[in-house]
Amino acid sequence: MVIKMKIDMQLALKDVPGSLLRALEPISSHGGNIVSVLHSRGEKERVEVKVTFKIADQESLDLIRKEMEKRRIQVSNISVEGKRYYSKKILSFILVGHVIDTDVRDTIDRINEVGLVSDIDVVMPSPEQKSSVMMSVEVDNGKLERLNSTVEKVCKEKDLLLISSIE
Amino acid sequence: MKSARIAIIGFGVIGRGFAQALQQKKKYLKELGVELNIIAVCEVDGSLVNEKGIDLEKALKGELKKQSDWDSIKAPVVIEKHKPDIVLELTPGNVKDGEPGLGHIKKALSNGISVVTSNKAPLALNYSELMSLAEDNNVKLKFEATVGGAIPIINLYQNTLKINEIRSIYGILNGTSNFVLSKMDEEAIGLDDAVKEAQELGLAESDPGYDIDGIDTAVKVAILANSLMNRKVSFRDIKVKGIRDVTPEAIELARKHGYSIKLIGDVGNLEVSPRLVPKGDPLDVSGSLNAVMLDTDIAKDITIVGRGAGAIETASSLLSDVLEIVG
Repeated sequence: MVIKMKIDMQLALKDVPGSLLRALEPISSHGGNIVSVLHSRGEKERVEVKVTFKIADQESLDLIRKEMEKRRIQVSNISVEGKRYYSKKILSFILVGHVIDTDVRDTIDRINEVGLVSDIDVVMPSPEQKSSVMMSVEVDNGKLERLNSTVEKVCKEKDLLLISSIE
Repeated sequence: MKSARIAIIGFGVIGRGFAQALQQKKKYLKELGVELNIIAVCEVDGSLVNEKGIDLEKALKGELKKQSDWDSIKAPVVIEKHKPDIVLELTPGNVKDGEPGLGHIKKALSNGISVVTSNKAPLALNYSELMSLAEDNNVKLKFEATVGGAIPIINLYQNTLKINEIRSIYGILNGTSNFVLSKMDEEAIGLDDAVKEAQELGLAESDPGYDIDGIDTAVKVAILANSLMNRKVSFRDIKVKGIRDVTPEAIELARKHGYSIKLIGDVGNLEVSPRLVPKGDPLDVSGSLNAVMLDTDIAKDITIVGRGAGAIETASSLLSDVLEIVG
């Protein structure tokens, strides 16, 4: 008999039809046996989901993680047999200024060198006026400070107002 | 019966609020066995002085200059000559050099007189020097009214939470900027219109820069950093970014993603800036309210919310400091 590992995974999913199914597919396709799915819908745009499943080995877990990353599914926490296996934080912030005109691609690329920009929302009243851009960035806990200083540096260079979260 | 002879320096909105509160609580103070005798009320151009006690009701009604006890002597002379037990320093703040409040406080402390103040600037600029001066002269310097108006944040920590180490303090410490941001969120209007509304309600000065550029919040961050986190810093060490560049679109975007934008004093990081606060978070208070959240090692999170300004509200903090000195 093969003893399987118990995994608890916390996800932050977009509140749109089909997103839960899209998030669970990588688990089942890599032999995971889903035990429970709990979700809580708060006031935020994303739904927090806690999935508990069993898998054969570490390799399967890594494949599931990679597949989720590819699908841009936000994984905020993973526990293996109750112990934190890997922990990521999602940082949200708003940039105000000429965000698009100051080469938004470059801004994203520089942030992606430290974390992963997983969500972008833009409000641009007119090309002349300042735009506001909300970004969510997935980052390893150990790289938080580096991410903060990268974002601050970019904002200073491009004269953007940074509104970061207190979370 | 415990008693104290008090000199009030500065009889503007806050000074008058204190006098009113004192009148209002006369009976309670008597029951408590405390007699607070106001022997002097000092203004820029002179003072009312009467060792038997100033008639506060009369002082509140008319112009001080027209009263029989009026004398042209200024506050420093009153302090040295009459040596009150407590000086209430309530003059307006001046973040450039802290004067005239700084001079008044130093004069009182070096003359062995305890001080209660609502004047933020002297503490934000010279905290360590003033506390050492108080200690050297074996007197007290109390300043609850400098941060958060009626919110008893400093005394709450120093009297009941001292065993805790504070890991971080986040605060909405300026009612005007919170009112402006709340209006922009609730009514989808621009900053200028929201400021105008605040001015019409008497919540903002004709030049709102001190509030919306984050200076007032930074001054309070410096006081909290010194008094609650044992940091030896001055107002000039605080990194400040106000709310002038916050657009209605940024507020709309924040709301869509479940956040409010608030001007936050981040005491641990010595920083003032607009930040995203999750909707429904204890710090997500609207209107002109203030809120302070302490993250401590034992008690964990503690948030206290209340009115951050207003004459009579601030008098609550001043009276509480006076009573603590009287004992």
